[in-house]
This record gives sequence, structure tokens and C-alpha cells, in this order.
Amino acid sequence: MRKIFSALALTLSVALIGTTAGAAELRVRIGSDVGNLDPARIFGIENQTVASHVYNGMVKYDQATNKILPDLATSWSVSADGTEYTFKLRDGVMFHKGYGQLTSDDVKFSLERVLNPDTKSRYAGQLAGVKAVEAPDPLTVKIVLDAPNAGLLNKLTDFNQGWIASRKAVTEIGDKQYAMQPIGTGPFMFDKWSPGNQVRVVANKDHFGGPPSLDAVTFRIIKDETAAAIALENGEIDVFFALQSPPVIDRLKKADGIAVLNRVANHTINLVLNQSVKPLDDIRVRKAIAYGINREALISGYFKGTKAPGHSVITSSFPEYTEELPQYAHDPEKAKALLKEAGQEGFTLELVTVGLSPYNELVIPMASDLEKVGIKTKITVLERGAYLQARGKGDIMTCITGIVGPPDPDSPLVSLYATKSFPPGMNTSRYNKADDLLASAAAEQDPAKRTAIYQQIMGQTMEDVPVLPLYADQLFLAHSSKVKGLVQNSLFTVQAHTVSLEE
Amino acid sequence: MLRYTARRLLLMSITVIGMVTVVFFLLRAIPGDPASYMLGDYATEESVAALKAELGLDRPVWEQYLGFVKRALTGDLGTSVVTGQPAFDEVLESIPWSAALSVSGIIIAVLAGVPLGVMSAVRHGTFADLFVMLGALIGISFPVFWVGLVCILLLAHEVRLFPALGASSSQDFFTQVHHLMLPALVLGFSVAAYIARLTRSAMLEVLGQDFVRVARAMGVPERRIVYRLALRNALIPVLAVIGVTFAWSLGSAILVEAVFSRPGLGSMILKAVFARDYQLVQAGVFVLASAVVLVNTSLDIVYGWVDPRVSVS
Repeated sequence: MRKIFSALALTLSVALIGTTAGAAELRVRIGSDVGNLDPARIFGIENQTVASHVYNGMVKYDQATNKILPDLATSWSVSADGTEYTFKLRDGVMFHKGYGQLTSDDVKFSLERVLNPDTKSRYAGQLAGVKAVEAPDPLTVKIVLDAPNAGLLNKLTDFNQGWIASRKAVTEIGDKQYAMQPIGTGPFMFDKWSPGNQVRVVANKDHFGGPPSLDAVTFRIIKDETAAAIALENGEIDVFFALQSPPVIDRLKKADGIAVLNRVANHTINLVLNQSVKPLDDIRVRKAIAYGINREALISGYFKGTKAPGHSVITSSFPEYTEELPQYAHDPEKAKALLKEAGQEGFTLELVTVGLSPYNELVIPMASDLEKVGIKTKITVLERGAYLQARGKGDIMTCITGIVGPPDPDSPLVSLYATKSFPPGMNTSRYNKADDLLASAAAEQDPAKRTAIYQQIMGQTMEDVPVLPLYADQLFLAHSSKVKGLVQNSLFTVQAHTVSLEE
Repeated sequence: MLRYTARRLLLMSITVIGMVTVVFFLLRAIPGDPASYMLGDYATEESVAALKAELGLDRPVWEQYLGFVKRALTGDLGTSVVTGQPAFDEVLESIPWSAALSVSGIIIAVLAGVPLGVMSAVRHGTFADLFVMLGALIGISFPVFWVGLVCILLLAHEVRLFPALGASSSQDFFTQVHHLMLPALVLGFSVAAYIARLTRSAMLEVLGQDFVRVARAMGVPERRIVYRLALRNALIPVLAVIGVTFAWSLGSAILVEAVFSRPGLGSMILKAVFARDYQLVQAGVFVLASAVVLVNTSLDIVYGWVDPRVSVS
């Protein structure tokens, strides 16, 4: 017995000393396993977080302001008619692990691969309207469009389809196998994936922006948020990514030596009202619903203040954000009056949602709010497959739709309000009055005028309320005070490019 | 003896084939498919259909099954839809994690459960017996994920004896063992409770038998009676039950893995089911079923060898 104890003590002491300093390695918690780091097929915030270390795009978002900055392209020009973009590439950018220098051919390859139907990329639609990608010389890329699209740069940022892969690497490694053997030009190189446990990237000392201060980043897969919080407090991890649970946020805010960051995301959760179903075709009924649901209480009560108000689908993290829009502060009396005016007192509203938290729980307080203003409600909770099928058919009365993406106003506005977004797509409200404005925004080359048009669309759609934004998501991130220089972005990723570790 | 072993081995392969077959069809009965998972919520019907065709999911299920069997016989368990890597590779990565947890859990369970059960039986009706049986009752009835969370809070947070994470990023053996300890103890506790109860009842039964009374009457020392005569006999059913506990511990291991953020076959299969990664689930179930059947069969064979009465019946 004594022997066992001494062996145990030895193991413990060795293990405790075992965590020696030396290489600067940042340990980041991610909530679930990675599985696909191929820019054409990537999905999920864990994959995107890891990939954002490995790849660069033609241009990139400033992490703090979401302004577009040069990345692999150092400069670009647009033809007078707005249909031709010419990019100059940075010279001497090398792909990881000896896959050679980045040339315009790799850009052409990466973008065409997304567009090619055989790739079955979920991002092909993002590049719709790209007629050709040309490589006139090794450092020049020319993108030809069907029609002017002033939002093109947003589609070429360092995210998903915008990440540039090496033609040589994809060809040699294999189209499918490449998913877990990614080769990019980013500040970190993919090192090793241990399924279910962790994925590690190591510093790319030859990065064109200078070598990162860290030697490596390990993404640890920790599902349970309480366990992750304890691991952060114990110093077993340095950064807690994708923090969501209100009690855990509260706990970490009180902990010593831990900083909790939060930022409004490019993510809104919306109640979509199908105008093709009576009586939702009546604007007064839609407004009554908007006034009737106590969205303030939803945020302060159900979410314990961890979400932000949804003024429109363009959240405060977008440069185009504005609050000068029709708003619907909770007002049951106004709701009742509007229903009376419309002659629709006592109609039944079916609230359809997917059986996933928090959506299936949110609808309960919403239903009770609506009952109070005289709208009968029926809650229908569907399994994910059945929900998508019902939404795809477009005959359900309402649905709860989350919309997320880069800080590109075009993407949420087109998805929710353009007639071409259904079917298939998310415009299940069948709204049809924004097409002309969306087209003129795309054609407008002057950024200020373009912003004005987007704000006009926001104003008009909030006036018509085919879609009621319930709340804007906020991203929480916690890190130990050893971590310096971490900038939180609004993209649902966390990047270690600028991070250093203090002993 | 040889015939008995041969029969057991045959039964074993039938069980594994049966398991994999059932899982193959069950998976395809769950709503959703890998194609829609890969392409996301807003994929067009054409693109889903095209990916399904590429994956062979548009063909009748029996045809898919025949193809699967044909490839499996050549040792090819398919490629994961999500990662594009051979499914068996990811399974191979998970096996050491699961094996380490289950084996150390069972060792702890046997080391704790057998002595406690013996003590309980020898001191039948005393306070010590009551105490051990109460502990065993807790071990059996309290869910392992709850015990795990309490252990993390107490032993990894209040008293920082162990890390909160059940896996280490370090390759260092001692660090890995340190991380393994708490999950193994939690898993071991629930299995130990089972073994202790079984040992106790087996011991009580043996201690009440005639040959023990004869030995006592002959003046054989009590120590010798308990350890030489009674325990040897009582251990035979316990040995057989360890096989069952092994399967059971693999089941509990899924929960332990989740609580301690530890990789393993259980959590890998769970992840694969959610992603409808058919090939990965099939490969995982194949290995898991083989492990359980293999352990049970070898224990049965050992059992038959220890106790010749078994093979006759």
C-alpha cells in the first residue's frame, strides 16, 4: 500500500512540474471537434477558427472595425462600369510546407474550385455573378462580373470561400483528403489533429506579415462550459472561446486573473412572418405582433442580459449600422388597437421552430406575450430535418431564422428580403419590395451612397416588418490575464495572430 | 475444450456481424443524411441530390449494404464524409484513449470491489458491512456524469489535486496518467460498486456451504478458509461478470468522456451520429462490438478452463 502511495505522489509531482514553460503555446477552448478545413467545404465556428490561422484572403476585415484591408492583394482597381476588378498580389508570399510561391493561378484555382458544381461547395452562391477569374501574369488577378457588384470585396475577405488554397497542395493531397491537411499562407501552419482531443497549429516563421509572437496554438475540445471555466481558472487553458451560458459568464466575470470580453456579433435571431399566409399579409397584424412580443424581457429575463437588442438584421458590428429605424418597443395596448383596426382579434398564430435550444424555449414567453394582446398561439416544434423541409416548402406561417455571416450588409439583406432568396433560401416571408433597392446598392460604387441605400432598405423593411429581429447575438470570450493583444472580432472566430503570452 | 473454443469464436463473429448490420440499417432509418449535413441549411435540392449520388446514398439500402460488406471484407471500412480521411484511422486514434480509461477503470474496480466485498461478507451484518453496501448503493444508483462533475468541482477546483480536463495535450506519460486518474476513479467507482456487491453475495453463499463448515470443524484457520477456500470459489462468478462490466464500463465511459472532455470511441461515435457520418459510426461500432465480444469470449474460455463444469453444459 505504501508503495502505491509513493508511486502516486511521484506521479503527481512529476505531472505538476511537467507543465514547464518554454515554448509560447496558447491553449484555446473550442466547443466541439473540427472535421473540415477546406475553404470550399468548411462549416462551423470551430473549423473556421482554426482555418483563420492557416489561410489568408485577397483582402481581410480589420478585427476591431470590420473595415476592409489589403491581405494577399496589396492594391486593386475597378473598371469604370464596375464589372472588372484587377488585383495586384503581394510578391514573395510562400505557401506552408514547401508548396511554393503564391501566384495568381492559386487564386484562380481557389475561386473556380468554389464555383465548380462538382466541388459541391456550400459557398458557390457567395461568388454568384463571377463570370471569370483570369491570371494575366503571376501577380495579377482579374475578376470579371456579369453585372456590377460593389460588395465583391466582402466576398473575397479572409473567410470561407475567400481563403486562398494552393493548387499544387489540393491536387497532390487530393480533393477530399485535403480537408484535414490544409496548406495556406497564414501566420500558422496546420500541425496535427488528434480527433476528439485537440488540433494544433504552429507558427509560420516565414509569414509575410512577420512571424507571430506565439510558437503554437492548441485548440482543446471541451464540450461542457462549466468544465471549461474550471480549466481556465486552473490555468489548463488560456482562452475560452464560444462562451454562452449566462451562469458561466457570471462566474468568470467574478474570477481573479480572468478577463471576459464581449461584442455584438453579425448574427440576429428573427421571427419570420410569412406574408403569403393570411392574416399576415396585413401590415397592421405584423406590427401588432412586433409590438406584442416583449423582446426587452426576452433579453433581460431569458438571456440574463447576454444578448443585445435587434434593431434590424444589420447589427452594431456592421459599419452600416443605424438605429434611426422604425422601432417596436413593447406596447400591448398599441398591439390590441392595431388588431382591432385590422379586424383580426383572436386569430391563431402558429409559431414554428426547430427543436433546438434556445429557439424551442424562446417561443414560450413569446406565445404568452401574444396571448396577452389577444392573438391565439400554437407552438410547433419540429426535428431539424423536418423543420428545414417545412421551411423549404414555404407554407408555414412563421419560423425562427438565425442569420449569420461576415459583416457584409448585402448578405443578410439579400437572404431575408430578395425574391431570388426563395426558393431555396431564407426569404420565407416572401417579401418582394426590396429587389430594386438591393440591385441599386450593388451597382453603387460610392461607399457613402451605398451605405445610404442599405440604410434605406433597413428602414423600409423595419417599417413593413416581414421579419422581426428578436435579438442580436453577443459573443463572449474569456481569457487569462497572461494573454495580451487579443482582439475580439464579430465573426465567431478567435485569432491568435496578434496574441502574446506573458509569464 | 477445443470444440467449446471453436464454437465460442464462431458465435463471436456472428454477434459482431449482427451488430454492424443492425447499426447499418438503424443509421439509415434516422432522419437526415450526410449530404444535407455537409451542404448546410440552404442547399438546393439539386446539390443535395448530386452529393447523395456521389456518396452512393441514392441507391437502395440493401445495395448499399452489399457494397459495404464487400468493401469491409477487403478491410476497407470507408471514408469519413466530413473529414475525407479513412474512417478506420480516426477509430484507431480513439482506441488507446478508450482502452486506457476502461482498463484502468476496471483495474480500480477489481482492486477496490473484491476486497471490500470480501470484507463485507466476512463481517456480515456489522457496521463495516453496512457502510460498504451503502457506498456500493451510491455507486450503482448515482449517475456517473453527476459523480464526475462533483469530483471535478471538489478534486480539480476546490482542492487542486487533479486537472479538470481528462486528457492532456502533452505526450508525457506521467502527465497523461495524471489526467487519466480522475476519470478512471469515477468510472472505477461505479463498476467497483457492482463488483463489491457481487463478491459479497458470492462469498456469503460459499461461506455457508458444507465444505466450509467441515473446514471450520477441522480447525482450519479462518484466514485460510476465507482466502484459500471461499474466495477462490467465489471469484469464479466474479470473473465471468467482469466481461459484462467491461461492456457496461464502455457505456459509462461515453458519459465520463463527455464530463472530462476526454477523447474516446464513445464520444467519437456520438459525434459521428450527429454528423450522420455513416462510415465513421460503422467503423466505431465494429471496433466497439468486437472489443466487447472479444473480452467476453476470452473470459468465457478462461472460465471454462478454470471451471471445467462449464464446457460440459
